[in-house]
Amino acid sequence: MTEVPTAPLVKKRERPVYRNIGFAQLANYRLPIPGIASIVHRITGIALFVCLLFLLAMLQMSLKSEAGFEVFRSIIWANPIAKVVLLGLLFAIVFHMIAGLRHMVQDSTAWMDLSAARTSAFGVFALSAVVTALVAWRLW
Amino acid sequence: MAASSKVITEWWLQRVTAVVITAYVFLVLGLLMVKGTPNAMQWQSLFANTGFKLATLLAILATAYHGLVGAMHVWPDYVKNRAVLAVLNAYTWLAAAAVALWSVYILFGTK
Repeated sequence: MTEVPTAPLVKKRERPVYRNIGFAQLANYRLPIPGIASIVHRITGIALFVCLLFLLAMLQMSLKSEAGFEVFRSIIWANPIAKVVLLGLLFAIVFHMIAGLRHMVQDSTAWMDLSAARTSAFGVFALSAVVTALVAWRLW
Repeated sequence: MAASSKVITEWWLQRVTAVVITAYVFLVLGLLMVKGTPNAMQWQSLFANTGFKLATLLAILATAYHGLVGAMHVWPDYVKNRAVLAVLNAYTWLAAAAVALWSVYILFGTK
């Protein structure tokens, strides 16, 4: 009687296993790109909500008088740090919007398989970077 | 209202408000791309238009609600301390209410 092979014929690739990930393991753990898109969607959402009152303050100032508008242009928009923060918020809203549209497509169960989830998550990053760059270039 | 039906209403309103905000953002970014950076007069006459005022108000109110629901869902996933969570929830309600009321004042209040 011939012996039945017990070991699998194809050796499985060694994969790291993460359970209750520890702080020291974080350096080796890479979130897959749909996961990165998901957490960035949350971070941009919170950032936009927290900054909303400051954005309203700037809107109020810009509408109050011509001088108020000029304060925004010459003091806030002319300041490199403030400009980077505002363009960061522009990226936040564009990213949050496009990632949200992707999530709504996924509500319909489309783009749920691994490859479509990966491709569309990559597409969200690429598209929001392009849109942000275009608007930033136009407003500079 | 039963808890599950409240969650379903929130789920829908989260998406309805998202579409409203997206339409407004497309409008504003489209205007900026077509017309370029506005000067004070162009900017203020845009916001003097009643239709644009109403669109802005609708978008800001939608944002206040969308942010309220979103933040209230996100905080408890990361903050486990009940006291800190209560502070964050209170801040979220106050900020959303402040945004909603302030936007009416900015757009329709007396100068």
